[in-house]
Amino acid sequence: MTMQTITPFKFVSVLSCFLLIFSAQAAERQQPKLGYWLTAISKPMPAPDFTLGDMDAKKFSIKDYRGKVILLNFWATWCPPCRREMPSMERLHQKFKGKDFIVLAANQMEEVDHVFAYTGELEVDPTFTILFDKDSNVSRAYGVLGLPTTYLIDKKGNIRFRAIGGREFDHPEVEKQILQLMQE
Amino acid sequence: MPTKIVNSQPIKIIFLCLLCAQIQAAEVTIHKNNESGLLTWSSKDDGFSIELIQLIPDFVRAVYGKHGLPADEVERIAGYCVFGSIIQNTSRQQMSYRVSDWRYVDKNGKAYPVKTKAQWLEEWRKVGITFAWTLLPESGDFGIGDWQQGFTTIQLDRNEKFDLIYTWTLDGIKHQGKIENMSCAPADLSTNLTTQ
Repeated sequence: MTMQTITPFKFVSVLSCFLLIFSAQAAERQQPKLGYWLTAISKPMPAPDFTLGDMDAKKFSIKDYRGKVILLNFWATWCPPCRREMPSMERLHQKFKGKDFIVLAANQMEEVDHVFAYTGELEVDPTFTILFDKDSNVSRAYGVLGLPTTYLIDKKGNIRFRAIGGREFDHPEVEKQILQLMQE
Repeated sequence: MPTKIVNSQPIKIIFLCLLCAQIQAAEVTIHKNNESGLLTWSSKDDGFSIELIQLIPDFVRAVYGKHGLPADEVERIAGYCVFGSIIQNTSRQQMSYRVSDWRYVDKNGKAYPVKTKAQWLEEWRKVGITFAWTLLPESGDFGIGDWQQGFTTIQLDRNEKFDLIYTWTLDGIKHQGKIENMSCAPADLSTNLTTQ
């Protein structure tokens, strides 16, 4: 079978079939448990500036959030741990709503319509800000090698903690680290 | 080494990895998926775990076709022996790995470097592909609880068995592990199911 001979309908069918098979396999083979440990950056560095659009093309610039603690998450819809950690990001967002804290989730290289449809399938509808890093320039600037990767940025705009791989972001230990940064 | 795989029953094999700088006890588990017949190798070493899941070419085609890679590039990567891989820092220390240090050894004992994500991206960049995800990152400096997943590609005949030799560094000490007698996924699932 070559790609040249696949019609769009056949392609979607093949993809759906395999996603089904491999979802079943993934369910059978347990993925690593989502942890709660964020690694402290030994030499905090300034978070690179960026401006990205959200679902409504509204522009968000990270420098507009000086004075807030930022949880900056790099993710994609095809990434299983990204999906698994999203509900905990939403719970965290709800818990710290109105405080000096914001969740920014920078999607990598996907279309707004596709991400919009995806969020509708999640067990919890995300209400935090989803941004679109369409050419992955921002993730490159942050040195992201794999998804998901998450940074905790302090009120002065310095990267203080990092997590590679999925996490339970509303775990008390993570909340403690966020509160610690909020109180600085 | 296992000579037989019991359907749906994980097989635990304990072997000593004598190739390491220090003698390293590694626990390798092989799991066979009941429905697809595909195999997963899991190895737990000192502070490091790795899991490699066979992926059939049509799955690889579907993934990269969906991400808009040109048909010839989709076919090229689907022609490799592709594994879904999960790497985890299971220690309470800093752990790092470099895929460029990893090797696979064919049946004749010849060792080859594992192709890195950086090498794939360089080749893709030359043909105008900007997509840069899904492959296992070529390196990682993992803190406590960090883990990563992505595809690992091996260039061997689909029917050929091989050993994978991988390394990682924990607290400044380089370690080496080995998974023996690995195999690629079959060309398609029907082949796999009829040979069970």
